[in-house]
Amino acid sequence: MASVKRLKRVAASQPGFIGFKQSEDLNSGRRKRVNKNKKKNWNKHSDIQDVEEFLDDVRLQERAAGGLISERTDESLFFWDIGEPKRKIQPEVQQDHKGKKSKSRPLRIDLILQHDSLVPPPKDILAHQQPNAKKLRRIAEKAAKLASLGVVTRRQKRLLNRRPARATVPKAETDANNFPERPFYDLWGEGAKETADPYFLEQTGKKLVKRPEKLNAKPSVLPAVEIIAPGGSYNPDFFSHQALLLEAHEVEVKKEKAVLRVERQLAVNREDIATEETVFQEQVEGLVEEDDEEYESEEPGGVSTRGSLPQEKKTEKERKRERADKLKLQKKQAAQVFTSRKQQLFQLRSIQAALKKDEQQTAERVTQRKAKQEAEKSMPRRLGRLKFQAQDLEVQLSDEIPGSLRTLKPEGSVLKDRFKSMQKRNMIEPRERAKFKRRHKLKYVEKRAFKEIT
Amino acid sequence: MGGLQKKKYERGSATNYITRNKARKKLQLSLADFRRLCILKGIYPHEPKHKKKVNKGSTAPRTFYLLKDIRFLLHEPIVRKFREYKVFVRKLRKAYGKAEWTGVERLRDNKPGYKLDHIIKERYPTFVDALRDIDDALSMCFLFSTFARTGKCHVQTITLCRRLSVEWMNYIIASRSLKKVGRARLQGAECPFQWAHPTDVDYRVMATFTEMYTTLLGFVNFRLYQTLNLVYPPKLDSKAESELKAEHEADYAMDSESYLEKLSALSASLARVVATAEEEENQMDQFPTEGEDQENLEAREKEQKEQEAHKRLFEGLKFFLNREVPRESLAFILRCFGAEVSWDQSLCIGGTYDVTDESITHQIVDRPNMDKQYINRYYIQPQWVFDTVNAKMLLPVEDYFIGVTLPPHLSPFVEEKDGDYVPPEKLKLMALQRGEKPGQDDEEDDDDDDDDDEEEEEEEDDDDGDDDELTEERNLKKMENQRAQGKTLAVKVTPGKVRPWETGSVGNRVRLEQEEKAEEKRLAIMMMKKKEKYLYDKIMFGKKRTVREANKLTAKRKAHEDASKAEKKAKKQ
Repeated sequence: MASVKRLKRVAASQPGFIGFKQSEDLNSGRRKRVNKNKKKNWNKHSDIQDVEEFLDDVRLQERAAGGLISERTDESLFFWDIGEPKRKIQPEVQQDHKGKKSKSRPLRIDLILQHDSLVPPPKDILAHQQPNAKKLRRIAEKAAKLASLGVVTRRQKRLLNRRPARATVPKAETDANNFPERPFYDLWGEGAKETADPYFLEQTGKKLVKRPEKLNAKPSVLPAVEIIAPGGSYNPDFFSHQALLLEAHEVEVKKEKAVLRVERQLAVNREDIATEETVFQEQVEGLVEEDDEEYESEEPGGVSTRGSLPQEKKTEKERKRERADKLKLQKKQAAQVFTSRKQQLFQLRSIQAALKKDEQQTAERVTQRKAKQEAEKSMPRRLGRLKFQAQDLEVQLSDEIPGSLRTLKPEGSVLKDRFKSMQKRNMIEPRERAKFKRRHKLKYVEKRAFKEIT
Repeated sequence: MGGLQKKKYERGSATNYITRNKARKKLQLSLADFRRLCILKGIYPHEPKHKKKVNKGSTAPRTFYLLKDIRFLLHEPIVRKFREYKVFVRKLRKAYGKAEWTGVERLRDNKPGYKLDHIIKERYPTFVDALRDIDDALSMCFLFSTFARTGKCHVQTITLCRRLSVEWMNYIIASRSLKKVGRARLQGAECPFQWAHPTDVDYRVMATFTEMYTTLLGFVNFRLYQTLNLVYPPKLDSKAESELKAEHEADYAMDSESYLEKLSALSASLARVVATAEEEENQMDQFPTEGEDQENLEAREKEQKEQEAHKRLFEGLKFFLNREVPRESLAFILRCFGAEVSWDQSLCIGGTYDVTDESITHQIVDRPNMDKQYINRYYIQPQWVFDTVNAKMLLPVEDYFIGVTLPPHLSPFVEEKDGDYVPPEKLKLMALQRGEKPGQDDEEDDDDDDDDDEEEEEEEDDDDGDDDELTEERNLKKMENQRAQGKTLAVKVTPGKVRPWETGSVGNRVRLEQEEKAEEKRLAIMMMKKKEKYLYDKIMFGKKRTVREANKLTAKRKAHEDASKAEKKAKKQ
């Protein structure tokens, strides 16, 4: 490098050298006096501005012109100006390829990013050389020689003896319940009986608790897979399809009725709507006096006299009479009971009939209740906050029935059907997806980065 | 009086039930874990009879469990695993937060897992119990195996479900135990790729059910394979395996998946533990029985014979599935009844022969027309397969040719009692099953529908000839000729004939017998007690009502058909 620098400096000192930049006046500032007997001061205070500038200039020339301009021949720098060369064909060609040219022209951004220095990049030495080539070659040679002799080095032995790396699939994955290649065995076969002491197993919690029989009962008598009525086939018999359609229709009608009922209940009563008359009445309420008040003022007096009747003490005579009356009444009632009982003897048949009727009624109720209980076994129970909502019937309308399997459009979804079936069989309670509820209101904060742009 | 005052809600139903939240707290589990545990152990919520009493006077709707059930849950070893998992998640989260990647890896490798084997054993103490609940397990596995691997559930679960369902199908084929073709079953296998996932389904719940059912189905499969002497996990027959070697196999699936794919193609037989040439016919054991049982036994034997015949329904037939038909379901059904099936190379791996194979007897097609047809095979629509299986006999193929309007697909799950309305298609089918030929009126119907009138007349002329067999032969020849011309066949049936021995003296005797019987019955009715008579009248009234309704429906049907026929004629002109 040093030699190059020197060469450049020599070139600059020559009289024909032309710099790119104009040389500045060196005498602009006052000269500072410093001791130059210290090396540190040499570095600090010697003025190398001119050298730096010169070197920058040389580099610039190398970059831009591909070498020092002073070393160029005159022919490469100048040319004879002998007027414009004739170009007659070129413009036509340009017009022809206008569209193409505009397309092929590189983007400005690409031009800017292009490498425009004329200094060639340094050569990659390692492209041709290999570091440690000699050493490596020697090692390889030695290994080949040993292998030909059949000698295993200690290093190789160690490598061989090392435990093989862990299998590609970790244990946790193969042990998982859903590992696709998991093995199965005969679960219900004659397995090995428990050999340990049952008391020990019980005490250490290793023995499984016996499952109560009751838990094996299914919560519903419905079958796991319900088969749709014959009308649901892709190419159904006319009548069975009509029957299914009727069923679906009834479901829809029921739904619509429920909606209508709510609407009716929510509707405003016509009498409650304010009319002009009622609005006016409200405005003049209390302003106009009416004759009715006279009537009202009379009544309170009458009521007060009746309410404040004084309690008088009963006389001895009255008490006696009351007692006698009471006794008489009791006697009369007893006699009545006696006679009615005597009469019942003659009513035996009708009584019996009544009894029979009662019994029949109870029996009927019992059967009804039994039937209801039986029906309830196949009904979805109320297991939580929500009621079971049956799935829509999967029906294809008369004009939707495809002639062939190929054109059959799938109706409904099997997944949903399974899910609903489980709800229907009381295996899971109907739920709805938890709604996301924000507990606190969101606060709007303008971010700094965002602010800068706007 | 005296004594302490009884407090409310301290005995009776209030103490027998526990709310969900309390149960959850008692088990120290999160709601999701609690839900999972309940599903795995088969513990379901209860609706108490007197909700207000159970709910301590409040009428708010709540989910209740039986207290004893929850106490039972307390002993479950899996509960501890759930807690361990909770801790694992906490540790993992912490490691992530601190960016300790080695720690994360170590934790991952030691992820706590649990097995459901003991729960399966506990819930289904015997194999029979497990089989009783298999329909749920099957439907869930088939459903999950059709899911797209989009991250709604674990890919591993989907793969496992696919494996188990394929194993199951292969078992059914090997044992030939399919009886009816259900629509439900078809649905599960057919339309999966089109649905968008519904949003109002709790996937976690479904995944938990699937987790349990996959374990169950795996054990059941193992047992079933064992009973048939098949290798488990299923292996293809070595002969079949070499046949299935396709040259561009590598393009079709990865090496790891291609074996399962080949299995799921359902076209090859499975390897057996003990190599036997064919399953020997297992004869039913004969026990010496008396009088009444003898009849039962005979009936049973007959039934068994029928079943055997049903199993071999398609044996010896060679099918080819066109690209547009649902491959898996059809291949499954056909293989279940002993047919040979193949399909287009581009459709799926595992096709054993080409379209060009001359020995193919039936090609299943679901498009309005075909360009290139082979002479020596039937081109039929897929419904033929389903109907044939349901009817337990090979139905005439004429009704199911390409472009023919198909007869309605009748549900195999409906069984009519006598007196009920039976659709005419079913009547026809039943007649066919009895071995009769369809009657006169059918022919009329067909004649109306036919296009070429000339041929009809010819055929009618043929019918006038006295020898039935001869005409039949001729008809067959004609059919073949038509087939050679590539035409669809005109459906032709000959009228039933009154046999001479039915009208003769024998017939008289039969009638006399019948009259006698009727007389006896009348007398018996006269001798009935009042109470019994009342019941009898009621029953008879009910029967008459059903008959009346059925008659009404048939009349309606007749009217409908007449109307549609008139419409058709009007269209023609």
